[in-house]
Amino acid sequence: MATQVSRTLSLVPDLAKEREVRWPQRSQSRLANGLEVILVESRTIPKFHGELFFRSGNAAAAERAVSLAEMTATMVRTGTARSTSRQIEERLRGVGADLSVSAGQDTTAISFAGLSDHAEPLLQLVSELAREASFPAAEFARERRQKLEEVKLERTQPGFLAGERLRKVLFEKHPYALVSPTEDQVAAYRVDQLQTVYSDFYTPQNAILLLVGDFEAAKMQTEIEQVFGSWSGRKPIAQDWPVPPAPKGRRVYLVHVPGAVQAQILCGCHAITRQHPDWIKLGLTNSLYGGAFNSRLVMNIREDKGYTYSPRSAVNPLRHYGYFSVSAAVRNEVVAASLTEIFYEIDKLRSLAVPESELLDAQNYLTGVFSMGLATQSGLLSQISTLALNELPADYLETYRQKVRALTPGDVLSAARVYFDSADMQIVVVGDREQIESQAALFGELEIYDARGSRLP
Amino acid sequence: MKPLQIPVEHQTLPNGLRVVVAPDSAAPVVTVGVYYKIGFRLEPQGRSGFAHLFEHMMFQGSENAAKMQHIKLINSSGGVLNGSTMYDVTNYYEAVPSNALERVLWLEADRMRALKVDDENLRNQRDVVKEEVRVNVMNQPYGGFPWLDMPPVAFRNWANAHNFYGDFADLDAASLADVQTFFRTYYIPNNAVLLILGDLSASDGFALAEKHFANIPAGPPPKFADPTEPKQSEERRGDVVEKFGTLPAMAIGYVMPRRRTPDWCAMGLLDQALHGGRAGRMYRELVLEKQVAVEADGGIDDIFGYNGPTQMTTRILHKPEITSDVTLAEFDAVVGEIREKGITEAELEQLKVKWRSDYFNTLEGGRGGYMPRYGLMHLLACFTLFDGEPQLVNSILDGFLEVSKEQVQDVARGYLKPENRAIVFRKPSAVSQEAA
Repeated sequence: MATQVSRTLSLVPDLAKEREVRWPQRSQSRLANGLEVILVESRTIPKFHGELFFRSGNAAAAERAVSLAEMTATMVRTGTARSTSRQIEERLRGVGADLSVSAGQDTTAISFAGLSDHAEPLLQLVSELAREASFPAAEFARERRQKLEEVKLERTQPGFLAGERLRKVLFEKHPYALVSPTEDQVAAYRVDQLQTVYSDFYTPQNAILLLVGDFEAAKMQTEIEQVFGSWSGRKPIAQDWPVPPAPKGRRVYLVHVPGAVQAQILCGCHAITRQHPDWIKLGLTNSLYGGAFNSRLVMNIREDKGYTYSPRSAVNPLRHYGYFSVSAAVRNEVVAASLTEIFYEIDKLRSLAVPESELLDAQNYLTGVFSMGLATQSGLLSQISTLALNELPADYLETYRQKVRALTPGDVLSAARVYFDSADMQIVVVGDREQIESQAALFGELEIYDARGSRLP
Repeated sequence: MKPLQIPVEHQTLPNGLRVVVAPDSAAPVVTVGVYYKIGFRLEPQGRSGFAHLFEHMMFQGSENAAKMQHIKLINSSGGVLNGSTMYDVTNYYEAVPSNALERVLWLEADRMRALKVDDENLRNQRDVVKEEVRVNVMNQPYGGFPWLDMPPVAFRNWANAHNFYGDFADLDAASLADVQTFFRTYYIPNNAVLLILGDLSASDGFALAEKHFANIPAGPPPKFADPTEPKQSEERRGDVVEKFGTLPAMAIGYVMPRRRTPDWCAMGLLDQALHGGRAGRMYRELVLEKQVAVEADGGIDDIFGYNGPTQMTTRILHKPEITSDVTLAEFDAVVGEIREKGITEAELEQLKVKWRSDYFNTLEGGRGGYMPRYGLMHLLACFTLFDGEPQLVNSILDGFLEVSKEQVQDVARGYLKPENRAIVFRKPSAVSQEAA
């Protein structure tokens, strides 16, 4: 077998000399009102893609109500001092633009893309939404009702239920535990709460405007100053929350969905944020474990055993805390077998140094995929957004590849030992308890919940 | 307006393989695709889901690259890969740093030349595919709605009407012999197109294509089943039980005109008028104004990439207290208005600007952003396999920008009529909700 493999591999063409990866110039400035502006020229298509980020999201409003920043974001496009909802939508269409307003735990974003030859009117509209949203009462009543149906619907999705339970388990009393509101919480939203979030969060001192696309940066800068220069507003006061303790000891949380024909597994433990010095090391370790197609987890439970279609692992960085997670939707009969393999691969990475050749493959993968972002406007925007929102060093893009290449098997071993916290991993399984309860219970003390989050006996 | 001038060159190798190269040195990345002109529409009867199962088998081992080698070689070159099965084509694609181009071409040529798979590989991927169907369809609220629900209601020809993901019994019945027969019949160079986009010169692209693919023998041209539908004379309806979801849903599909006709272009703009996001009439009327629906979206799925009967489909999730009759009546009112009054010149102008903008997005985007220029690759492939004209990527937009408001109204009248449509009602079983 060994000789056959080597004969085969000799046919594979070698890699040619690598072309230099050169990240484009970023023009970075701060307007007098505090708005941070980052511009990047990219002429792949006659369009531009942009984000107006605010450094506050649902977590910053958690004391007032769950997911309040998100409800506020939903309302922003439904009316301004100058335009009705319908006028806003038709203006967008008339300039060929797409726009969405959304909020996550740490950030609110007005995301947009439009034609370069219609840039100015789109920027005007973005500015209008950021400064003059009017929260019409009728629109609010409708959007709140929509939201009510959405939160009912998401409780029927296995992926949502798994994610929600894991976040509750990992972050308990911290706002990061709150993924989505209950129906009662939605019903209790008031328009004045949204207006307060809007006036607190949507300010130039709290914002970053990022544009990538087919424009001349200097001209665009002038246009931005004209459109956004007269905006004013202070940075909101950031609130501190007690540090959420990392759960100790494996426990199993079964979310019971009667009639489920498959089990959604999601395991997780506390990890780190993007600003942590070990971030790149952990990224490489995750890539070896289950972050790529050619990873140990995928090769094991998909390509060898056929338990699942889409197993994967991820390091999920929120601004203040991060967590490591492993997910797989598996057939009911192999819940225990899948968990066994998930932990086997974790424990193996914690016990044995990875072979040099496997490490090299993973390093090549990460460094190669990192540069894919260069090829498209949206890819560049996403890379540069990550940089800006996480306040990463200015040379992060330029130095990332050499940092990945410098890592050793010892680095991976230590990252796995510290961050793949096998003994304290929390296990969520969403499925029909009749089918999977006894298998799940093999892995730790079991708690069972229904889809609405009530504990079942 | 900046004119579109994407550099595209194409050649045909003596074995019939078409090769399309689109050089662009903006980033040191190449995207490679191989498209075979066979999708799930024309897979063999009694073997529903086979085209897709077969797609999985293409990652299980070829003449000189054993199972895992293909995936490992792409990932370890810094690249990503995947494949997908569509109605009329199946594709395999990679995006890699440009220094790995030759390696990718070698791998694609190796699996075009010979598939080397065994029963164990087939059993393994059959299990994987079943979990794929469970995670995407059977265990999801509104899974397969409406893309799997609609065909058996709308169409009468098995080619268009069967379960494309496959009945599990058919998947179980699939044998290794079926795999090799399917491979020999359809996976031949003269039924395929190779696409190379990005950081390379056209001459290098053609030379490498010649080097790795030219000695793969051509096969007899495949005989394709006829996907023509018998003429429809009345509205068709069907019901599907929704096991998990809380809201009643419906999908209304109208059969589309043939590709690359003036009606097809007008339907594209009509689609934009009806389903163009929150400005589209469906969302505006059903969700924002009349407030009967919670979601109302849809449109023409892959307008450039179909090569047989297809529909423009509206997908609606409506409030539980609104009956499906009332919801459908509101839908019909939207359709009725555009049939009777057409659209204004101002609306048409907006639709065209948005259409142009969306087209550029299509070229650059796709597959969640990890696959640069997936859209351009897809269009080049479809225009080559169906039309023999990859250069259409530079001119296809013109036909849409020439449509008049009268043409939009004409196609609304001509196609949006009951005897040209099918409706699927997806009704919550409610049992799971009461229990919860």
